[in-house]
Amino acid sequence: MPNTKARTTTPVEQSFWTYAQQMEKLPPCQAQCPNSGDARGWLGIIAQHEKIGLTLEQAYDKAWEKLTELNPLPATIGRICPHPCEDLCTRRDKDGPVSINAMERFLGDWGISRSLSLPVADLGKHTESVGVIGSGPASLSFAYQMARRGYRVTIYERHELPGGMLRQAIPDYRLPREVLDAEIQRLFDMDVQLVRDMDIGADIEIDELRKRHTLIFLGLGAQAGRDIGIPGEKGPGVIPGIEYLRQRKQGRESQTGTRVAVIGGGNTAIDAARTARREGAQVTLLYRRSQVEMPAAIREVEDALKEGVQMTFLVAPTRIIREGTSVRAIEIQEMRLGEPDDQGRCRPVPVPDQFRRLNVDTVIVAVSQAPDWHGMEPIRDGHKWLHTEEDGKLEDSIWAGGDDRGPGIASQAIAQGRLAAEAAHAELRGIPHPKQNLQRRAVVKDSVKTDFYAERQRVCSPRRAQEDWLCNPHLEIDQTIGSDQAELEAARCMSCGLCFDCQQCFMYCNAGGFTRIEESQSGKFFVLALDACEGCGKCIEVCPCSYLELRDSD
Amino acid sequence: MPDLSPTLQDGSRIAVIGGGPAGSMFSYFLLNMADAVALDVSVDMFEPRRFCHRGPAGCNHCGGVVSESLVQRLATEGIILPEDVVQRGIESYTLHMDVGDVEIATPLMEKRIAAIYRGNGPRHSEPLDTESFDGFLLQKAQEKGANVIRRLVTDMSREGERMRVRCADEFCDDYDLVVLATGVNSRLMEVLEDQAQEFTRPERTKTFICEFRIGRDVIKKHFGPSMHVFLLDIPRLEFAALIPKGDYVTLCLLGDDIDDDLMRQFFDSPEVANCFPGGIIPSHVCHCFPRINIKAAQPAYGERVVMIGDSGATRLFKDGIGAAYRTAKAAAKTAVFHGIDADSFKTHYAPLCRKIHNDNKMGKVVFGFGSLVQKARFARRGVLRMTANEQKQVSAPRRMSGVLWDLFSGSASYTDVFLRTLHPVYIGSLLWNLMVSNLPGNAATKNPVAGVECDRAKH
Repeated sequence: MPNTKARTTTPVEQSFWTYAQQMEKLPPCQAQCPNSGDARGWLGIIAQHEKIGLTLEQAYDKAWEKLTELNPLPATIGRICPHPCEDLCTRRDKDGPVSINAMERFLGDWGISRSLSLPVADLGKHTESVGVIGSGPASLSFAYQMARRGYRVTIYERHELPGGMLRQAIPDYRLPREVLDAEIQRLFDMDVQLVRDMDIGADIEIDELRKRHTLIFLGLGAQAGRDIGIPGEKGPGVIPGIEYLRQRKQGRESQTGTRVAVIGGGNTAIDAARTARREGAQVTLLYRRSQVEMPAAIREVEDALKEGVQMTFLVAPTRIIREGTSVRAIEIQEMRLGEPDDQGRCRPVPVPDQFRRLNVDTVIVAVSQAPDWHGMEPIRDGHKWLHTEEDGKLEDSIWAGGDDRGPGIASQAIAQGRLAAEAAHAELRGIPHPKQNLQRRAVVKDSVKTDFYAERQRVCSPRRAQEDWLCNPHLEIDQTIGSDQAELEAARCMSCGLCFDCQQCFMYCNAGGFTRIEESQSGKFFVLALDACEGCGKCIEVCPCSYLELRDSD
Repeated sequence: MPDLSPTLQDGSRIAVIGGGPAGSMFSYFLLNMADAVALDVSVDMFEPRRFCHRGPAGCNHCGGVVSESLVQRLATEGIILPEDVVQRGIESYTLHMDVGDVEIATPLMEKRIAAIYRGNGPRHSEPLDTESFDGFLLQKAQEKGANVIRRLVTDMSREGERMRVRCADEFCDDYDLVVLATGVNSRLMEVLEDQAQEFTRPERTKTFICEFRIGRDVIKKHFGPSMHVFLLDIPRLEFAALIPKGDYVTLCLLGDDIDDDLMRQFFDSPEVANCFPGGIIPSHVCHCFPRINIKAAQPAYGERVVMIGDSGATRLFKDGIGAAYRTAKAAAKTAVFHGIDADSFKTHYAPLCRKIHNDNKMGKVVFGFGSLVQKARFARRGVLRMTANEQKQVSAPRRMSGVLWDLFSGSASYTDVFLRTLHPVYIGSLLWNLMVSNLPGNAATKNPVAGVECDRAKH
């Protein structure tokens, strides 16, 4: 600490002198985001645009650039992310969390409508080439981070269109394909190459790809639906959830019957149930625990209920009853909740001799997914998932990320792709391994003075009228907020742990120790002259966002 | 006859910047007077801080002493200080010098003083059943109808006929009259000075205030209901006092730019350490170096602008709240009954500022005498003897005690204090005491305690 001046020495105990320092801290939203998304950073650019001399439009552009440093697919993630960032938002207990997800969506759409392009450090700067297998969020993130660092990147995709699960499994009413197309196209505009319809193992061997490229990244996803293992499961009329969604997305001839049972409580089960409702089916979702234990996003579950999906909890399928080859009914057994498992969720326990029949003609099984290992035999180690190092390194020159390392939300896949790219780049260039950026001290809970901030009503993404939801299976339910609303919503961010120019320290410091920075940037408005500080601690106490703090002892 | 100079009209909007005593009292008086003449105006008070916070964030940095006469005057205005605002009634001063201590009892009941907290108590203090003085006044203003806006004003400019007030969050609004009551510990006056050539902000000097947590019972035993004043031979130190308040004792050092050196000398004085239990100065819990106004703003008014309290003119070292009261009332009166143009303020408000300014000149002379006494040991002996003897007698006029009391408490104007020191009996008595107390072989020269037993225990 460059404090050259000797501190006041009086008989008055020195430890009670409270010298201040400026210290950026990790806000709860960023700590909660699997991809460490800097929502405070990009919201701050918008909220402070006048202070930093930007027009609102320039601020949106700049916020988009900041956002896409870590996430190349903001319009996509802004639609589908269950946004854990909002769960611990400091505003939550005051007047509702900042709508970070709606803001991300807004900025994503802003970027598309303005045809903003992703930055490239230096195209073709490095001679190494990189092969990416799969084109889901993990792969796209890895490809983007390598391409912007100047590597040549080729993506190998088994299907015709890139996007992985985003393309195959997320229904149109949650993510219109034009949005995904536009965001992926930006990567190709960075000169990322795509090889379509390339089935590893059939069209080319994995070892051949390893020879072609300096390193390869595996973003295989978890595309194989798994069986429950009950009698009658094999045969027509029973379909894995992921396969059902894929067929519906491709617009193939419907297999949806009129009475559909969906088995499972995750997001795939909900997506399948809601998709089947859009086909006009009567849908019953069967889940072996109760509603609170459902892994699916709460809002998705609520929407499914609104759309008329019946949900039967605490039941497990035991048999599928067929007449000839056709499914006639499903036999289910009553369950009750037992002891909690390792994750704290109560284990379902069968209730003896309590069976029921439910008449259905289609059963969608969405209980679990796993990677499709087809063609990957030389790499697979026999486990259910890939076991990599923390940064995604599997073995020499092979990195992996996304659902092939275990199931997670898309943000996590993006994070794994990014972290793998950062680590791979460091290894290729022989530079120090990038430290996790979570080294910064977190904002201490309750240290943000929420009563300083005026109440402001939360802006949410508007939704179409509920009666229209099922009219058109492709109709997107949520809408994007407008530019005016986005500006208002950005101003709700309390900027936990980073200066937002409230000016109180500057105005109230008895010693006049704070000086305004001429060319201020978002988050940086004043410098504190450490040797002017008189140690009264007033600035620390008035600082609403917990940016000023007690100085570390020298 | 048509009057073209601007006055407050029905619907006029007034911005008061700062919610300390000056701002709150101004709002209170103005709304009261407007009511009396059926004038319908609105007052927006800008104050982002909350005085319910403990520690410096909710505090307005001062020794926290209010004279009984001001308490009474406020009562006649309908502002009755509740008991939980007054931390401790101060009934005497104890004067500490190297030549001995002497306790000066309150001369008359109306000259008693009250100790208060400007905020909600020192840092980390327990929630007591106490209330902030500033918070109480602000609440009074609110009850009168002032609208408190929790925003920090960062700028002010002329916008056509009216004044535009700008806040840190880019909020801005136009007003017919802006009243500056920010004090001198905010940057706003500096910002305004940089903008306006013709305006000079108040001159300031640095003081020191800190809080010791000692505990009610120990305070009662060692300090009593007495404010302890030190007359020590330390250059640039004009006034030093320990003021008991509840579980805490507030130390207040005033002078010319209090710095490390001066503080070291002060804390090294045995007279100071001896005031505390066991002769040991404990750790403090809270401190600050507030700036005080030592020369009024020039001018303290403008077209549709007036500066009150510390932002305008205040009394030297003492009775800042009394000055806030006087300036607030005069400014409110001018605005309601005369006008809000520069000329109205010049005619009806500036004279008060001038009067305070002139009295401060006299104050400098009086404090100059005080410094002389501080420097000369023989003078200290004389003062000690004269005061001690006065305190022993019940009925005789207490000339020295009265002078010291008014000087310490700010209960009387400096001019008044000065004139009393010119009284022949006072001078004669002082000369006599100077002589007797410094006679060779006089007990006082050997035994520093001149015969007055203080409430506090001796160590």
